[in-house]
Amino acid sequence: MSAQLRSRSVAALPVGRRTALVLGVASLAGLMMLCWPLLLEPGEGSRLDPPFLFLLLLPLVLVVVLAEMSEGGMDARVLAILGVLAAINGVLRGISAGTAGLELVFFLLILSARVFGAGFGFVLGAMSLFVSALVTAGVGPWLPFQMLVAGWVGLGAGLLPKRVAGRAEIWMLCAYGVVSAFAYGIFMNLSGWPFLLGVEVPGHEQTQLSYVAGAPVLENLHRFGAYVLLTSMGWDLGRAITNAAAIALLGPSILVTLRRASRRAVIVRR
Amino acid sequence: MIELREVRFGYDDRTILGGIDLRIDEGELMLLAGPTGVGKSTLLGVVAGLVPGYTGGVLRGDVLLDGVSVIEQPARERAHAIGYVGQNPAAWFVTDTVEEELAYGMEQLGLPPETMRRRVEETLDLLGIADLRHRDLRTLSGGQQQRVAIGAVLTMHPRLLVLDEPTSALDPTAAEDVLATITRLVHDLGLSVLVAEHRLERVVPFADRMCLLRSDGTVLVDEPAAVLADSPIAPPLVELGRLAGWQPLPLSVRDARRRTSSLRSALDRGPAHSPERVPGPTEVEAAELVVAHGRRVVLRGVSLTLHAGRVTALMGRNGSGKSTLLWTLQGRLARTSGRLAVGGADPHQLKREQRRAHAGMVPQTAADLLYLETVAEECAAADQSADAPAGRCAGLLARMAPGIDPATHPRDLSEGQRLALVVAIVLTARPPVLLLDEPTRGLDYAAKTALAAVLAELAELGHAVLLATHDVEFVARVADDVVVLAEGEVVSAGPVRRVVAESPAFAPQVMKVLGPDWLRVDEVASALEAAG
Amino acid sequence: MSAGVARPRLARELHPGAWWAWAIGLAAAATFTTNPLLLLLLGAVVCAVVMACRGDGVWARAFRFYLALGVVIVITRTLFRVVLGSGTAGHVLLDLPEIPLPDWAAGISLLGPVTREALLAGLYDGMRLGMIVVAVGAANALANPKRLMKSLPPALYEIGTALVVAVTVLPQLADSAKRVRAAQELRGGPPGRIRGLRRFLVPVLEDAFERSLALAAGMDTRGYGRPGAAPPAQRRLTGAVMLTGLLGVCAGVYGFLDGTSPWWLGMPMMGAGIAVALAGFVLAGRRVVRSRYRADRWRPPEVLIALSGVASGAVAWWVAQEQVQVANPPVAEMPQVSLAALVACLLGLVPLLAAPPPLTRESRELESVVESDEDVAEERLRS
Repeated sequence: MSAQLRSRSVAALPVGRRTALVLGVASLAGLMMLCWPLLLEPGEGSRLDPPFLFLLLLPLVLVVVLAEMSEGGMDARVLAILGVLAAINGVLRGISAGTAGLELVFFLLILSARVFGAGFGFVLGAMSLFVSALVTAGVGPWLPFQMLVAGWVGLGAGLLPKRVAGRAEIWMLCAYGVVSAFAYGIFMNLSGWPFLLGVEVPGHEQTQLSYVAGAPVLENLHRFGAYVLLTSMGWDLGRAITNAAAIALLGPSILVTLRRASRRAVIVRR
Repeated sequence: MIELREVRFGYDDRTILGGIDLRIDEGELMLLAGPTGVGKSTLLGVVAGLVPGYTGGVLRGDVLLDGVSVIEQPARERAHAIGYVGQNPAAWFVTDTVEEELAYGMEQLGLPPETMRRRVEETLDLLGIADLRHRDLRTLSGGQQQRVAIGAVLTMHPRLLVLDEPTSALDPTAAEDVLATITRLVHDLGLSVLVAEHRLERVVPFADRMCLLRSDGTVLVDEPAAVLADSPIAPPLVELGRLAGWQPLPLSVRDARRRTSSLRSALDRGPAHSPERVPGPTEVEAAELVVAHGRRVVLRGVSLTLHAGRVTALMGRNGSGKSTLLWTLQGRLARTSGRLAVGGADPHQLKREQRRAHAGMVPQTAADLLYLETVAEECAAADQSADAPAGRCAGLLARMAPGIDPATHPRDLSEGQRLALVVAIVLTARPPVLLLDEPTRGLDYAAKTALAAVLAELAELGHAVLLATHDVEFVARVADDVVVLAEGEVVSAGPVRRVVAESPAFAPQVMKVLGPDWLRVDEVASALEAAG
Repeated sequence: MSAGVARPRLARELHPGAWWAWAIGLAAAATFTTNPLLLLLLGAVVCAVVMACRGDGVWARAFRFYLALGVVIVITRTLFRVVLGSGTAGHVLLDLPEIPLPDWAAGISLLGPVTREALLAGLYDGMRLGMIVVAVGAANALANPKRLMKSLPPALYEIGTALVVAVTVLPQLADSAKRVRAAQELRGGPPGRIRGLRRFLVPVLEDAFERSLALAAGMDTRGYGRPGAAPPAQRRLTGAVMLTGLLGVCAGVYGFLDGTSPWWLGMPMMGAGIAVALAGFVLAGRRVVRSRYRADRWRPPEVLIALSGVASGAVAWWVAQEQVQVANPPVAEMPQVSLAALVACLLGLVPLLAAPPPLTRESRELESVVESDEDVAEERLRS
């Protein structure tokens, strides 16, 4: 009798076809709940409130996805590393939140997702935001949206082409860091925009940048673009630059550390 | 109840376990011994089911639990029968209070709540930790943590308890407590215990049988006295017994004392006084140091002098202020009052770079200093930052721990090699004073001998060395002077022979057997030789 | 105990789920109205309950932060209305000069005349948003987050455990960071903040990973992850149910957003989707075989508090449907309050009567006094 085991780099949380399908459908639902202002075709009615319902619905969708991701059971080692990385991400976000724009949330998330795979990246992204919300008392209606989008950031990082290595890998991750920082900012703005500026329907005027229910998508996009430029461009830029800089300077050594950990943590039985 | 048959384990390039047959019976206390690095932990892991899942490698042979093969089962499926407690209990805790930690394993087994509640209460009483039940695990002392860790597996009612060096991080008193707990479990509950321990002197008297793991990966299993007769690692007591030709070998101080009459005549004249190291100029002068962490006063008026060319040992129970004193001498911690001069300057007033040139320090977790990817890079970085000629650090390392591949990742080194690397990095700046915080943790007899040689050499070269440690035998071997701290005060200080003779808790075994004149086995050996 | 003596209520922590249900109910009530009087009343109710029922945990102190955030939201919302306002017709309070922006910025202009109506509309909307945040903040302050994670449903067992690990690791990380900072001072190295960060981050990470591996081994040897008895058929069923549910949610959200789709594709579809998805979620939880030590149970106070939140939301919904003028008063007139609306707000006060005293240092000491009294009594009996 013998048990022969060997370790190599594989996904820490394998995503099967079914899980991928669940994740896809849930992401679509989440995307609709984020982008509803661009999709809404209002029926007849005098006033329109932002759909507060979504604030309750999205957590449920997230919970179902997370349950599905861990449905096959999670190895103790993967779970422990997930917990530790989520804690470190939470702390990084906590300490960098005060310094204008210098947000370090995503840099470790991207690097870890790169090493541990897409499924792990999604769960880590969602969990990191949750942990940091617990630490900094930031549990609010915005949290489910943040968790979903951060999950996507991790997912995307895990899906980047595997063969790229060396300097090219770092450059690729830097570029992804910039893109994801902006994407995160834009999605968060989109989720907050109708709530903060109100919804304009004929007879109920709001501000000039408010979302106008039923107006052509392009006009709403224009208004939204101006809103983003006026309010949060600086933050997003700061976040993108810090992400890229941190990946460029710390990435190589941290990738080595993570890969060492992954070699010990993910073992394939055969 | 558990049986290992022809167990072989190894990686592609080397064999760790080479065909091991071992049986542990009901109610037996089996002691596992062997030099560090031969695979004691691996063997325990095989029994518990953590190997090869957590280590990689190839495992062959069979493990039987009550006659049924369990080798294919991972640790979680053996949890109800085999309780495993690892080396550093603090890192093993899943929850954050004592009570929840005790219940964790039972929750995983899916036991009904009433059973869990009853077993938690029983275990709290059995281990004498009932008053700690609501405490945060991190606030417990090392001995308490170890007992909670044992309790956390006991609640699952395992039949075999596997312990990996349960006392290695504890001070002598806490270690006694934990060992007393373990023997009580064997005697009262009829539990089988398999325990690995490198400070044999503590466990040997209680062991029913002993399993010696040799460096070729085979084992010798027999009564402790028989195994120790020609074991390469042996506590000083056994070495003394071998020297005197006692049969069977004494396993406790009491056994040995009753037989000393045969040695008395040869040892009348006392130990030949080996030439003492002459104290050089004063390097560290501390007077009435008071240091506080926040409001808590940790050091209450400590005075201390270190001379060049002398090795001083700093002893005392955990929490008595040893680390604080070291960090104060290094300069990181500020003092509330008192005078301090290290190499003629006040270290707290110095810049960081200057501090490094005045006093080098090796902290308790030496690995915290390492951040690069290969040993060679670490050495180069050390040379560069100390403005030393290239290769000085590597040279120091080669002297202390020869044969390390410079391309190795520092985290893959053995405990002893890693310590040597850190000491080399610190010494590259050539500080006249060297401070070491518990350097013997996790080192076996061979590694300790190597460290002792390094410290002696440093003293010869004119360094003043101060080391904090719990290891009495190591102190007897290397130290010239001893300072004992308690509650932040110096309770005794002076030459090693006088200080350890004054307090039985700190006396080495040889002294307990032969009286205050004798510190080490080699003294006895040379005295016997001189007497013919 | 004799019948005449009132039974002392033991201080204890309520099931965190009860507080969350209560808070979500009140937040829902807030979403149904923009009436400033009702929103202020709701805010007062929430504050009163938090003051009376919170313990002395760290999380309880966070409420101030949420209050401040609520105020910030109200101010931001109103300021946006002033700065980006578009000259709503009405009573001009302040005639600010208009600053037109270039064409690329949607051709908008900043400032302009500030009307009372615009200001009030912004204020009302902002108060509604602020009130939701304050209600969530109340749940944060009242419910012990650690207990919440421990009482997660079984399907989230792994994620919950990982969260517990994360929260437990946090203080250890702090210790580790402190140690590494001190240790790195003992050797020289390249200067610079980012390189310095590397010297700090790499040992902390290595330490954390080593710890996590030890932790995993600790969990493994104590039986974590013993496989449950879910047969493949059941697993397939679980997956199918979850997927169907999520598809239903997707379709429901689409139907809800598209006003031209048939009525059943909106809310009913969404509701059905959620129900099916949650059924899958419960099914997924079946595979986990484990029990809980001293689990938080739902006792009468918990049920009462959760129900009060739900009731508050339900009454507010009724008000929004039947008394539109009360729920969404026009900015031109003085807002009105109806009895039903008052009931919706005051239902939130039920915890003041139903909740046991909170766990604080004093109540813990009181309990230990009671315990030692028992000891004394026992000793007397023995002697």
